Amino acid sequence: MQNPPGEEPETTLSVTPPKKWAAGVPAVVHALEYSLEQTSPRKTGVDLLAMNQVGGIDCPGCAWADPAPSRRHRNEYCENGAKHINDEATTRRITADFFREHSVADLAARSDMWLNQQGRLTEPMIKRPGSEHYEPISWNDVLGVFAQELKALDSPDEAVFYTSGRASNEAAFVLQLFARAFGTNNLPDCSNMCHESSGFALSETLGTGKGTVSLTDLHHADLIFLVGQNPGSNHPRQLSALEEAKRNGCRIVAVNPLPEAGLRRFKNPQKASGVLGRGTQIADRFLHIKPGGDLALFQALNLLLLEAEDAAPGSVLDHDFIDAHTTGFEEFARHVRTVDWDDVRTATGLTRAEIEKVRDEVLDSERVIVCWAMGITQHKHGVPTVREIVNFLMLRGNLGRAGTGACPVRGHSNVQGDRTMGIWEQMPDTFLDALQKEFGFDPPRPHGLDSVDSIKAMREGRVKVFLALAGNFVRAAPDSEATEEAMRSCRLTAHISTKLNRSHTVCGDTALILPTLGRTERDVQADGEQFVTVENSMSEVHTSQGRLEPASPLLLSEVAILCRLARRTVNGKADIPWDMFEGDYGTIRDRISRIVPGFHDFNARVTRPGGFQLPNPVNEGVFNNKVGKAVFTSNERVVPRAPEGHLLLQTLRSHDQWNTIPYTDNDRYRGIHGSRHVVLVNPADLTELGLAQGDHVDLVSVWGDGSERRAENFEVVPYPAAKGSAAAYYPETNVLVPLDSVADISNQPTSKGIIVRLEPVLDRTQPATA
Amino acid sequence: MAHKDDAPQAVPDTPGTRRHGDGVRRRRPLRQRHVEETVEVAVPVRTAYNQWTQFKTFPRFSTVVHGVEQIRPTMTAWTIGYGPLRHRFAVEIVEQDPDAYLAWRGLEQHPSHQGEVEFRPTASGGTAITVRMLLEPRGAARILTRSSRATRLTARSVRGELMNFKRFIEGLGQEGGAWRGTIRNGRVQHDHPEPPRSRVAQWPVG
Repeated sequence: MQNPPGEEPETTLSVTPPKKWAAGVPAVVHALEYSLEQTSPRKTGVDLLAMNQVGGIDCPGCAWADPAPSRRHRNEYCENGAKHINDEATTRRITADFFREHSVADLAARSDMWLNQQGRLTEPMIKRPGSEHYEPISWNDVLGVFAQELKALDSPDEAVFYTSGRASNEAAFVLQLFARAFGTNNLPDCSNMCHESSGFALSETLGTGKGTVSLTDLHHADLIFLVGQNPGSNHPRQLSALEEAKRNGCRIVAVNPLPEAGLRRFKNPQKASGVLGRGTQIADRFLHIKPGGDLALFQALNLLLLEAEDAAPGSVLDHDFIDAHTTGFEEFARHVRTVDWDDVRTATGLTRAEIEKVRDEVLDSERVIVCWAMGITQHKHGVPTVREIVNFLMLRGNLGRAGTGACPVRGHSNVQGDRTMGIWEQMPDTFLDALQKEFGFDPPRPHGLDSVDSIKAMREGRVKVFLALAGNFVRAAPDSEATEEAMRSCRLTAHISTKLNRSHTVCGDTALILPTLGRTERDVQADGEQFVTVENSMSEVHTSQGRLEPASPLLLSEVAILCRLARRTVNGKADIPWDMFEGDYGTIRDRISRIVPGFHDFNARVTRPGGFQLPNPVNEGVFNNKVGKAVFTSNERVVPRAPEGHLLLQTLRSHDQWNTIPYTDNDRYRGIHGSRHVVLVNPADLTELGLAQGDHVDLVSVWGDGSERRAENFEVVPYPAAKGSAAAYYPETNVLVPLDSVADISNQPTSKGIIVRLEPVLDRTQPATA
Repeated sequence: MAHKDDAPQAVPDTPGTRRHGDGVRRRRPLRQRHVEETVEVAVPVRTAYNQWTQFKTFPRFSTVVHGVEQIRPTMTAWTIGYGPLRHRFAVEIVEQDPDAYLAWRGLEQHPSHQGEVEFRPTASGGTAITVRMLLEPRGAARILTRSSRATRLTARSVRGELMNFKRFIEGLGQEGGAWRGTIRNGRVQHDHPEPPRSRVAQWPVG
């Protein structure tokens, strides 16, 4: 265990060649090193051995599915999960003295890493209007302040209730119930910023907002596409599934602007071959695509499949499936036949020959799965790209059969479950009707605000109160300056949090910190010890139960805080037993079972080993969209272009980072050590721009609203990024993403494909010369 | 998985299927049979079929099957074994006609296997159940199982399992559940506008 850093550590950048493989022994060493810095060997052991086990703690790190109970390893976690869980289980504590010592302005000048390293929040705090410091406040008083502010609003729509994907099903259900009983559908969530484009595209085309595959499908696919995702750093346990698929003879095509280590080779530290040997090659074929070229790639592939069918009628397309289960094929086919290969080349940077080789892989494969993540969804054309992936899958009937399907890979551990529980600003009437029937109040019907629209409303003074259930909204959101201005415009900001982050330091006139239990901790309520439930990326719903003693006796659970806030605010407005909910989470699950389709017998089924899997209608031969069939779509061609002297920037996470929180300044897979203020650029682009390794530049994004968005003083690193593109770390470069730059249809911020120029930094210590 | 030298194959043509006169693609009966065994059970076809397709209950009567995970109607994972030995494999159900027929294939490449089960009513009101299985072991297992003795052992094992099922369902008298769906070419077909398993949250997930 080490004490928290007093001052920001001073480090300098060093660059080594990017790694060609992921995990292995170094992953174990780094995970243990970080864990033991944070907490004791005993706590580390308790946490890690309970992680992702039946009856244990669901890893908050990502939403990847767990193997069947009988197939789980004793150590069922990855390096990043181990770091994350022990980051929460840290023995470091933040007390009232800390806030006396550090003003809000002081804290706002600190890095994300420094704030996180200070440890766990232990008691409720308030920053009063005009004050420069947070100060302790009792739970009773802090709830009173919150209730008073809400009741003072002219309209319920002047409040926003944000949810992070770490929140449990129970907490999410209670939050949306509270918000709707209060009278608003303003329920933005982190989904708005990660896979919103997937949800819209899949709902429209397949009638389901969720992925269609299970781990068993992945294990038995013939061909898997990994598109716009970096499993080595963002969902490392996916590598184990890919390893098993490879052992069964699967081939993998990786499509990404960066040749990430985890796409190349995986050394499984739980196997002798991973410790001593060369591990498993992951991608058999790597397409070094330009950011945003994926739509053009899948359109080109679809054209090649149609042409293969023309050459050998009846041998390529799945006519049985297309005829019986889809609509729109003819129009789609006409549209795709207009694909221009010059445009494809410009958009993707790939040659026709490269794409034809992928077509051959597809024709050789009976079972195909496409996995994707934010490298797809965070583009302006994220929705059309996912639609085109669906077109691709449907052409050869790669839906609804074993070993086939669509696999959006989600990040936050319960981001899917929170949405299932009704955290959405546009919930359908069927759900609202069920709430009305169950609780006897009229939920508001007009759609509420999502994340981007919430920020706009706060800036314009239309929203005055912001409550966040977990997360770090200020750093997760785009256009950092605009978001911070929005938060500072609020009358009240309140955060239910385990640890300190920048969202506590960029706050409204009054700011509240409501400290809460973490996933790792025992949650004891009036009815005894509680567990919560989550839903992973493959629609498996299961329990999570902490083992450690809470970081402070004053911590309340997320459910308890929300129930108490609701009791103080909306008590008597509806027939909602907040006391009972707080005392026994089983009573919340009883209500969920009557309201959310697919959750019948929730309490009984979720306590079975491994929980239960929600069926996906597509795998039942059902398409629950307007037409009752899978829909082929015709998507307008997009050729992302940057003006001369500019690059297409993608923001990304380092390997040593969980969402907005970096654990260190290192990103060892990419060979970056000691600094996060780097921009990775193709060497040929650097030559054209007259830049060289070690140059310092400002990143300036181009957007037509007259505002200049600048990320200052980044060091240039030559890197095998796709020609014409650049990459830099999130959240440091969120400042470059304009608030109005959103994906069509889904309103998801476009953190990929940002047009930037690199302006060399003059020596700021010298006066500028004329 | 096919090889590059093979002519391109349409995906729906799962091995051993052909299109019938009614335009529906159905599985072709296995010709190269490793094993075929039939048993008559004294319960109606519907009862026998319903119980058989409750795959999770196989460990209740089988001496070989230790666990079955039903991932979805078309996909199951089986754990079988003798003594301390265990083998887990996934199975795709490629055809299923209520009260008549069921065909499967293993999803593992090594060893591969496929099979079918037919249910026919008998004159006495019972059911004749026929199991046909084709095992295609690879490597050393292929050499070990090449002899007719190995085939006889497999046949004996299948017969034993059928007898166990007979005792089980005749003892129970009625089935403990039912899934009456149809599967064609590995895909669930539904004749109901909203089958129960499709009733889940439909709103988009971000």
